Amino acid sequence: MNDKKYWKYFENFNSEDRNLELKQQEFSEKVTEEFRIENLNTLSRRKFLALSTATLAITTTACNDYRDKGAIVPYNKKPENVLPGIANYYASTCTACSHRCGILIKTREGRPIKVDGNPDHPVSKGKICSVGQANILNLYSPERYKKPLKKSGGKFSEIEWQSAFNEILQIFKRANASGKEIALITNPIYSPSFFAVLNRLQQNYPTTKIYVYEYFGEYAKAIAWEKCYGTPNFADYDFSKAKVIVAIESNFLGNEGNFVRNVREFAQNRNVDNPQHFSRFYSFETDLTLTGANADYRIPLPASKHFGLLASVLNEIVTNHSHKLTSNFPKEQLLQFSRNFNLHQFAKENGINPSLLTQMIQELVANQGKSVIISGATLPVEIHILTNLLNEILGNNVLLRSKAQPLIGLNKLEDFGELVRKVNDDKIGLLVNFDVNPVFHFPKDLGFEMVFAKVPVVTFTESETETAMLSNFVIPISHNFESWGDWITSDGDYSTQQPVIEPLFGTYQKEDFILGIIEGQLIRDEYHKFIMSYWRSEIYPNVNPGVDFEVFWHSVLHDGVVNSPAALSSLSKLNYDVVKELTPSISSGGWLLLLKKSYNNGDGKYLNNGWLNELPHPITKVTWDNYVAISEPSAKALEVNNGDILEITRNGKKLEIPVFIVPGIPNNCLVIETGFGRKNAGVIGNGVGFDPMVLADFATVSNGYVFSDVKARQTGKHYELASTVEHHSLNDTFVKDLSKTRRIVQEGTVEEFLDGKFKIHRAEDLRSIIPEIKYSGVKWAMVIDMNKCIGCGDCVTACNVENNVPVVGKEQVLRGREMQWIRIDTYFSGSQNNPSISFQTMLCQHCDDAPCENVCPVVATNHSPDGLNQMVYNRCVGTRYCSNNCPFKVRRFNFYDYRDHFANGFFYQDSLKLMQNPEVTVRSRGVMEKCTFCVQRISEARQKATEDGRPLKGTDVKTACQEACPTEAIVFGDMHDKDSELYYWRNHKLGYYVLEELNVKPNVTYISRLRNKNSEDIS
Amino acid sequence: MNIEIDYTVEPEVVKNQPSHSSVNDAIAAPLETKPSIKYYIALGISGSLLLTGAICLGFSFYYGVGLWGNNQPVGWAIPIVNFVFWVGIGHAGTLISAILFLFRQRWRTGIARFAEAMTIFAVITAGLFPLIHTGRPWLAGYLFPLPNQHHLWVNFTSPLIWDVFAVSTYLTVSFVFWYVGLIPDLAILRDRTQSKVKKIIYSIFSLGWRHSNRHWHHYEMLYLILAGFATPLVLSVHTIVSFDFAVSIVPGWHTTIFPPYFVAGAIFSGFAMVQNVLIVVRKIFHIEHIISLDTLEKMNKVMLATGMMVGYAYGVEFFIAWYSGNPLESFVFFNRVFGNYAWAYWIMVSCNVIFTQLFWFKKIRRNIPIMFVIGVLVNVGMWFERFVIVISTLSKDFLPSSWGYYKPTLVDIGILLGSFGLFFTLVILFIRALPVVSISEVKAVIKGSQPQHH
Repeated sequence: MNDKKYWKYFENFNSEDRNLELKQQEFSEKVTEEFRIENLNTLSRRKFLALSTATLAITTTACNDYRDKGAIVPYNKKPENVLPGIANYYASTCTACSHRCGILIKTREGRPIKVDGNPDHPVSKGKICSVGQANILNLYSPERYKKPLKKSGGKFSEIEWQSAFNEILQIFKRANASGKEIALITNPIYSPSFFAVLNRLQQNYPTTKIYVYEYFGEYAKAIAWEKCYGTPNFADYDFSKAKVIVAIESNFLGNEGNFVRNVREFAQNRNVDNPQHFSRFYSFETDLTLTGANADYRIPLPASKHFGLLASVLNEIVTNHSHKLTSNFPKEQLLQFSRNFNLHQFAKENGINPSLLTQMIQELVANQGKSVIISGATLPVEIHILTNLLNEILGNNVLLRSKAQPLIGLNKLEDFGELVRKVNDDKIGLLVNFDVNPVFHFPKDLGFEMVFAKVPVVTFTESETETAMLSNFVIPISHNFESWGDWITSDGDYSTQQPVIEPLFGTYQKEDFILGIIEGQLIRDEYHKFIMSYWRSEIYPNVNPGVDFEVFWHSVLHDGVVNSPAALSSLSKLNYDVVKELTPSISSGGWLLLLKKSYNNGDGKYLNNGWLNELPHPITKVTWDNYVAISEPSAKALEVNNGDILEITRNGKKLEIPVFIVPGIPNNCLVIETGFGRKNAGVIGNGVGFDPMVLADFATVSNGYVFSDVKARQTGKHYELASTVEHHSLNDTFVKDLSKTRRIVQEGTVEEFLDGKFKIHRAEDLRSIIPEIKYSGVKWAMVIDMNKCIGCGDCVTACNVENNVPVVGKEQVLRGREMQWIRIDTYFSGSQNNPSISFQTMLCQHCDDAPCENVCPVVATNHSPDGLNQMVYNRCVGTRYCSNNCPFKVRRFNFYDYRDHFANGFFYQDSLKLMQNPEVTVRSRGVMEKCTFCVQRISEARQKATEDGRPLKGTDVKTACQEACPTEAIVFGDMHDKDSELYYWRNHKLGYYVLEELNVKPNVTYISRLRNKNSEDIS
Repeated sequence: MNIEIDYTVEPEVVKNQPSHSSVNDAIAAPLETKPSIKYYIALGISGSLLLTGAICLGFSFYYGVGLWGNNQPVGWAIPIVNFVFWVGIGHAGTLISAILFLFRQRWRTGIARFAEAMTIFAVITAGLFPLIHTGRPWLAGYLFPLPNQHHLWVNFTSPLIWDVFAVSTYLTVSFVFWYVGLIPDLAILRDRTQSKVKKIIYSIFSLGWRHSNRHWHHYEMLYLILAGFATPLVLSVHTIVSFDFAVSIVPGWHTTIFPPYFVAGAIFSGFAMVQNVLIVVRKIFHIEHIISLDTLEKMNKVMLATGMMVGYAYGVEFFIAWYSGNPLESFVFFNRVFGNYAWAYWIMVSCNVIFTQLFWFKKIRRNIPIMFVIGVLVNVGMWFERFVIVISTLSKDFLPSSWGYYKPTLVDIGILLGSFGLFFTLVILFIRALPVVSISEVKAVIKGSQPQHH
């Protein structure tokens, strides 16, 4: 060792310095000599330590099960604007339906994890529906297509993007060269940039024709408006100004029209601090809808009688009240039509209290220009015409809001019949399904499936659809959150859509592909450049913001919206000649069938979304299915019960579908929701529900979805429907009105309240043997205003997304093991044929003396100093004692590892792992869980307050449910903050606790619902 | 008819005045002979049941308790029903061996050993359920107050922790009591056996017993102390088990009658089980003279008495539900009788209250086939009593929105069968491993063994 001389620098080489030696040896002589294990003959302290350390090192590494998971990428070079652990929010536009609500997408470390409304958006004002929120699951869906598919020999095979593009480009060119039509089917176009793209496409390929349709589009209403006002572009009402609302089969609070805005405006007139300004709401309907459930007066009426109702109301107004009306109308012309319809006779024939109808008419007349009559999308043209007539003579059109129209609106449905004919005549060179699913959407008698054998078909889609399965080429497209876009809001402003994540599966956005076809070359991000240049040349000069385009563009992207100076068109006068052709198109007698839009599935696209399938139906709480809703007497007549399969026949078309008995549906009526029963939806959606569109005729759907020539009979077969609640007949005296007698729901009328007669029942003289715990500082509490809560379930979806709530599947819901932390309880009271419906949002009440806490053997559930009832998942053994002892039954137990158990480990697939909120523990099997009052948000706010050096305030925190509630029914905050909104509501005279007598001291206060009806009408 | 019966004279406990050596022979016979094929068949059946349960349990551990029927309102179901049922079965043994010992009931000698053994086996079976019914059974250790580096401690306000102490204390004391009673018998066996291996084992476990006067003196004193120690446990264990329910706020559970009602029910079912098993054992091993018909009749009388206590409790529950004026309470009881689970309620009432009334007739009390059937029915009824209490109560509580119907799955039933398999396997192994009747105690009650005073 001493023979060679080691050196590092020249100085070292020549130096005889002792340091050199030291460098070679590393340890000084004495140290190393002493520390030679072999030289130590006894077990010295050093030897012992050395050996034990070595043993420890060997044993720990030997037992380590670390597997190399590939490259580890630290944030050495931090991506711009990304801080680990800090969320970023990006404004964008929701494309889940055609209403284009503004959204804020929350991203963590570059992955979108939550979608909320954009508060700056003028139309949706910070709120979106369940579908929009759950859309995030579609983004991460492992079932999205990754590569283009080409069908050859009846089988699909993956091909490269470039070759798919080239082949399709050739088909375009061939079709164009041969003069054959290129048919592009899409949904209504509201995007100015994409409109420009389509124009360029038509310039380059002149034979291109754009076909626009919408599943369950409001065709009948459009036709009625065309006849009345000369334009198919109907407008929406401003419900915030409506004092009297009459809904005819309209579900404007549930799923019709721009319901997010409707709900908000409707709830503005449900403020208990202003009871004089409560609107009065009448609903006449066949189905029991969310809207009807929120009406002050809900009158069950078969759809075949709506014509008679409106006509006799018209007659009554024109005959007896015309002198009070301020509008000008041809009285004689109207009377000529209406004189055959007598209100009293109508009321008598249909078992309606005539004084109720006269009261309604008086109120309508008294509130001219401040009332709304609205008819549902399912109804035929003549009802919409009658509605328009009534609104016109009552002067209600001042409440109509001018509305931006689509740049390419709906085609007439006949055009699609024409399209099929053209295919048969070999006049079509290429059919492009641009993110639409016409095979599923159109009634089967159109024969749309037949065209696929005759023309090349290219389908753009995110994942499997019925249409894609029949196409020659399937082009995967990027999700909304991976794409650029721009939109016109319904108020005529512009909103933008920006990608918040790189395409997960390397897809192109669909507009990129069309631009590629135009330019002959597929380039990623081309549409982004196109939008920017379009905005620079077209929109920027119009808006004229007075800043640089770059600055303008970035501020628009930041805000998500920009006001447009463009004026919207106003409404013309009604053409009273329409009254001449008014005849009812629905005959009465026999079974009446109504098809309705689904609440959660959109046009069926979201049937493959587990969260939405498991979101209970707002009325019946059925999940994972649709059904035919019928009344109890009708079920008796057919000898069926819940779940028994009914065979419905119409013109030789047949549908077998299970029955669900719903109170408040008129006898001999069948109501089915659409968007179910898909064959190629994906692993989750296949086999969910039944498709009632098989009963519809293509020729008549533009005149609504009410069919009178229907037969129904029982089949003797049975099907399990998974409802999250037990259903009892309202004739069952044993359980009747328990929600009222147990004072779970306390309700009164506005009249009683104003007279001071309505007193909330509060438990008095409650004593506890437990010493009261004094809380200081912030103590969290919640108030839910039952006047504003409409029972939509948006809070449930928001909670699911925020808190990583698993999907359990139908079979587990059947077992009663749904996992949602917050639920909407629906209570029926009154009579079976005309029940009164009460909603109650139920979540963990965070009781001060929580009965769950003292029974947990391991203190896994306990109380925080700020009043939260908290769960320590790691400590939980899973005895379920807490759940048994919870009077509200809001605790949820992981009977399985649901991410693994549901659909063969569906949620354990790689892409879905990215979806989880990193701030919330993903719970394992065998653990109890429940609402935490969004403790992760509280912690975040507390951290921020500490950083800012100020005390935490109750208003710093918004829970996910509160944020999502479209009516602001949920208030959350610090009960010790005397200036806060929460404090005010918590001590409101209409506030009460559920099951107060138990003295568990809940921290969720409910504000009693007041119904705006005469006290004597309370059943 | 001669009705002049002298009630001061106790009837003979052991019939026919057998000699002491013949008692030795009779009781030690199963231990010294080769088991017959019937024994193996019985062991095979109970072993198969045990295996079925073990497989079902294995699946439950692997996939999760989702394999059971438990759901959202019904967090506790068949496993807890089984737990309470088996703890109840375990009550007869200590009652017979401790309380009846203190009361100087000499007829207990023939059945005490067996009843005590059944107590231990039943408590072992019962003790499994609180551990396996948890969502994460591998963490069941959290239920014990074990010091740990996290400074985590159990929650002493939770009745489940009281259960842990009550059941483990009961098991320990019962076992010690049983073992102490076995020592003189083990010594007898040690002296009788020809086998070297057995000799070593018996020698170790008989702790050097030489039947000396001094030994007997200490033994009697210890036995008396242990009997005194075990007596309150008979009452406390099921009282504390009933606290699992009574301490909660669930209407139908939250009642003060539960402790006495549970204890009476436990003795009721325990006696029925002991009676059933002894009927078989005395027949097989030809010890009808030691476990006599008089003894069985006395057990039937106890069952009649406790059955009526249970029936009284059923009645009082309804009275209080009505008398308290609490609508939630009255709803629960109305629902038990007429609701979804009315079938279970009526099985319970007919088996526990109605059929046992037949024991008013002496002929039936002394008719072995009929008393056997009634004994079986009592246990069916008592199992359903726990079913009604646990499941029907949970399925409909405060908020109608959260009600739900519970249906057991095949796995639930498999585990129930497995619990019977475990219990009977232990019983069957016991009858070939240890004397099923206390040899020394029986000798002491044979006519002529006692000091005579002429």
